[in-house]
Amino acid sequence: MSTRMPKPNSFQLLSADSRAQIDHWIAKYPPDQKQSAVMAALMITQEANGGWLTTELMDAVADYLQMSPIAVYEVATFYSMYELKPVGKHKICVCTNLSCMLRGSEELVDHLQKKLGVDFGEITPDKKFSLKSVECLGACGGAPVVQIGKNYYENLTPAKVDEILAGLE
Amino acid sequence: MKSVTHYLKRLFLLELFKGMGVTGRYLFARKITIQYPEEKTPLSPRFRGHHALRRYPNGEERCIACKLCEAVCPALAITIEASPREDGTRRTTRYEIDMVKCIFCGFCEESCPVDSIVETNVFEYHGEQRGDLLMTKERLLAMGDKMEPQIANDRASDAKYR
Amino acid sequence: MVTIEIDGKPYQAEAGAMLIQVTDANGIDIPRFCYHKKLSLAASCRMCLVEVEKAPKPMPACATPVMDGMKVWTRSVKALAAQKAVMEFLLINHPLDCPICDQGGECELQDQAVGYGKDVSRYAEGKRVVFDKNVGPLIATEMTRCIHCTRCVRFSQEITGLQELGATGRGEHTIIGTFIEKNVASELSGNVIDLCPVGALTSKPFRFAARAWELQQRETIAPHDALGSNVDVHIRRNQVLRVVPRENEAINEVWIADRDRFSYEGLTALDRLTSPMIKKDGKWQATDWEKALAYAAEGLKEVVKKQGSQAFGALASPTATLEELYLLQKVGRGLGSANLDHRLRQVDFSDQDDAPLFPYLGQPIANLETCDTVLVIGSHLRKEQPLLNHRLRKAALRGANIIVINPVDYEFNYPVAHTLISSPATFVEDLAGLAKALWENPGTLVPTEMQKLLGTVSAKDNHKAIAQALRTGKRRAVLLGQLATAHPQFAVIRALAAVMAKLSGTSLGYLGEANNTSGAWLAGMLPHRGPAGLPLQTIGLDAHSMLTQGLKGYLLLGLEPELDSWNGAAALASLKKAEFVVSFSAYRTPTIDSYAKVILPIALFAETSGTYVNVEGRWQSFTGAVTPPGEARPAWKILRVLGNLLDLAGFEYMSSEEVREELRQQVGEKRPNNRLAWKIPSSLTTLAVKGLQRITEMPIYSTDALVRRASSLQKTVDATLANGIHIHPQLASQKNLSQGNSARVRQNGATLTLPVVMDERVPQESVLIYAGQLANLELGEWYGGVEVSAA
Repeated sequence: MSTRMPKPNSFQLLSADSRAQIDHWIAKYPPDQKQSAVMAALMITQEANGGWLTTELMDAVADYLQMSPIAVYEVATFYSMYELKPVGKHKICVCTNLSCMLRGSEELVDHLQKKLGVDFGEITPDKKFSLKSVECLGACGGAPVVQIGKNYYENLTPAKVDEILAGLE
Repeated sequence: MKSVTHYLKRLFLLELFKGMGVTGRYLFARKITIQYPEEKTPLSPRFRGHHALRRYPNGEERCIACKLCEAVCPALAITIEASPREDGTRRTTRYEIDMVKCIFCGFCEESCPVDSIVETNVFEYHGEQRGDLLMTKERLLAMGDKMEPQIANDRASDAKYR
Repeated sequence: MVTIEIDGKPYQAEAGAMLIQVTDANGIDIPRFCYHKKLSLAASCRMCLVEVEKAPKPMPACATPVMDGMKVWTRSVKALAAQKAVMEFLLINHPLDCPICDQGGECELQDQAVGYGKDVSRYAEGKRVVFDKNVGPLIATEMTRCIHCTRCVRFSQEITGLQELGATGRGEHTIIGTFIEKNVASELSGNVIDLCPVGALTSKPFRFAARAWELQQRETIAPHDALGSNVDVHIRRNQVLRVVPRENEAINEVWIADRDRFSYEGLTALDRLTSPMIKKDGKWQATDWEKALAYAAEGLKEVVKKQGSQAFGALASPTATLEELYLLQKVGRGLGSANLDHRLRQVDFSDQDDAPLFPYLGQPIANLETCDTVLVIGSHLRKEQPLLNHRLRKAALRGANIIVINPVDYEFNYPVAHTLISSPATFVEDLAGLAKALWENPGTLVPTEMQKLLGTVSAKDNHKAIAQALRTGKRRAVLLGQLATAHPQFAVIRALAAVMAKLSGTSLGYLGEANNTSGAWLAGMLPHRGPAGLPLQTIGLDAHSMLTQGLKGYLLLGLEPELDSWNGAAALASLKKAEFVVSFSAYRTPTIDSYAKVILPIALFAETSGTYVNVEGRWQSFTGAVTPPGEARPAWKILRVLGNLLDLAGFEYMSSEEVREELRQQVGEKRPNNRLAWKIPSSLTTLAVKGLQRITEMPIYSTDALVRRASSLQKTVDATLANGIHIHPQLASQKNLSQGNSARVRQNGATLTLPVVMDERVPQESVLIYAGQLANLELGEWYGGVEVSAA
């Protein structure tokens, strides 16, 4: 009946393994501040779900951390590392902020879009790659920067990108 | 000396002849009187006559029930009621101008953000019964539909001064 | 205290106060959007930037604490430049749709833009567009207009306690909303309409109806909650178009409940009666006041003459004004009858002689939030009295222990320290255990009879835990709610609550029912007491007896007894059997037609002058804001003339103030004393119930005739929840019932088919059936055993 809380016991949507990992993070914070673990919990959940979050999964996280669902949605929509739509096997995040732009990220974007045949926020038909524009990745010293999966690739040119993509399965 | 010239003027009815001179001149001059209603004077595009509510070219009424005309009307001649239309847009359910109260100041037209309420150059209208001069929304819209070419023309010709 | 200098003038200020609080207190205007005195600080709009000496950049006044010797300039070149720059940023994405915006004319952004905005925008790029979401029947959204002040988000988090709204996305893509489309279900949700500084959140029922400048504001008192919330009604051309709160820190702070905000829609309901109706020769006919009142007076006289004065009774809704209730009891007593009552939702009157002067909260409303421990007995407080609940919420967030004893596991919007779910049949048993647990600890004395009764009772562990909690804390209270008042053993519950209060040294209070329940007690609309609580020799019938035993003549004031009383089916049957029923009603319904002989159209809230007495005993008078529709008249005027026609003495009033003053003189300085006002019960045995127990709750939007006709409120989650039979999923599966199916429900010989609603709050041995619903009227009593089977 309640509109505030997620459906009771919806946390069961999370696998036992995910829950164990989240518990590890919860343990780092005071017991009455479980919600501090929300970012880690969302990351763990996202990885367990093939790289993206469904509303049900966010509700599950909310239930597990005893937060209101909207507070979880706020976090998940604020940070660019959370995905609310399915992504490809390799998520290519191109920085398009000032430093990278000055060092040629626009050229990279054009190249990637042409090469993969997708726009920002889309997946290639073979579900291998998805392309995303992100804000500053904090590696301006190596601009232009692209993050693929958990790795940073710096000082890129279209040719280097081709090389990297070819090396990915 | 002054009284002498005054006396002479009076003696020879000089002022009278001067006056008659003016009369005589206009007796033969080109007439400016107009034979209304057979003849009519030209009207300015800014003429403030009978009101009308306009529509957009696609037939949608312009009025959005912002009620600025109602608020600005110094004679309190405008009455508006509004509610959401079926498609959710803001529309009037009642738009009435009491022509008996209206003083044709044109403030309503000036306040309208969407050029909906306008004053046309129609000034020949009358009412035969009580209530005939209470212009309802339907009558005002009909007036707008009828006069639209003229209204649009007037607005266009006045646009550069606005 | 510190001294600061603002715009060259020295001011005294509390150390640690924010700059904007000091300027507000001293009438210095600083523009703001996100700051609100009742909400936490966000400092996100940056509109309140002011220049502070030695600060390199302008500082937000809402988040800058004052310090001794601080020098501030609110209108210096630097401050104004900052404010103007912020305004330009705010206007970048704000649409220029003021002509179609309901906020136009009362918009904070519009007002500030006149003072700080430029007349020409330098922004030529595309503006942001946000798609609207449907957030329910009360609030209209136009999210493109949002300036992200987050007042609504903070409100939903901090005041309603149900975080329903949030800011998703970031930067320019921030969107305020519920993320997934759903209804905002708080009982206080309407307040976001007042909070929103722009036209993003506006009132849906009021949508496009009028402009701020067309409206006239009249002060009045809210017609539903027991607090007597102060409200302003906004009227145009003699019609109430909306209701907004008026600030009163002692009562409603700056909020009002949705029930009081949107119930005005009932004023223009389609079944509103506009002329007096009489039934002659089996046919209804509209008539004038003279004929109708003469017919009513004649009929009443005849009933009294033929059947005796005891065959006549008067019943009133506690939503009527003090003056109306006083005059009604005067008419009733003038006719020689003591059958007068307003307590239609009570059934146990055995201790009524010992009851307090009126059901008093036991302390001023504002003191509730300073309590350290509160025991709530039998109340769905969030829905019964939303703003009293808000006070308790403030206490709970401060760290107070709130303890709840309820038949249903209601959701509270704050942490509840102990919850004891006790079905109606075991309610007394649990309270006795609790009293015993308190007694077992060495403490103050209780009367020996009570000691004897409690002697055989044993306290369980959870009783002991609650007893322990009830003993801790400095300011403590025991509060009785409507579910306790309506319990068939209310006298025992009251006694046990009083014993608990005594043993633990806490104050005892009542959470109130309608807006003028206290007033009805003071006015003497009671069978056993006259005005001002005067004890009487002959005691008349109480409401329940009147409506179940059946009288020959009834006078009803503002009631729909079939929906308003404890046993609607029996009430309706009694009324139908009566010879002569006069109904003072604002509405004409087929049900009233079926039993009444005369229907007199009365004025409602905002249409009449009068007085409400709230749960803390505060008298609040008001005048009528609009005239009633058609021939409807204020009930006090009708009763005054009826008094004249019945040849009764003392009906020469010229104004409602005269009536009020007459009663006020009688009441004088009398105050209720809850802790002494109870009676030792004869036994503590519980009532046996066969089958499943029926739990009955009066839902928030069915409490009286006016709110039942407020069409927008009837579309809310709370209103739609009230249908069907609520049953625990496990019990349902045992009975082969599932959500959406119907169940055959049998109570006292009546059988009905009702839709099944799964509800995990309901204990397994009970079912929850809501009161005030036509659909389940025939089931009758609010308490008892029901049989449920698949239909």
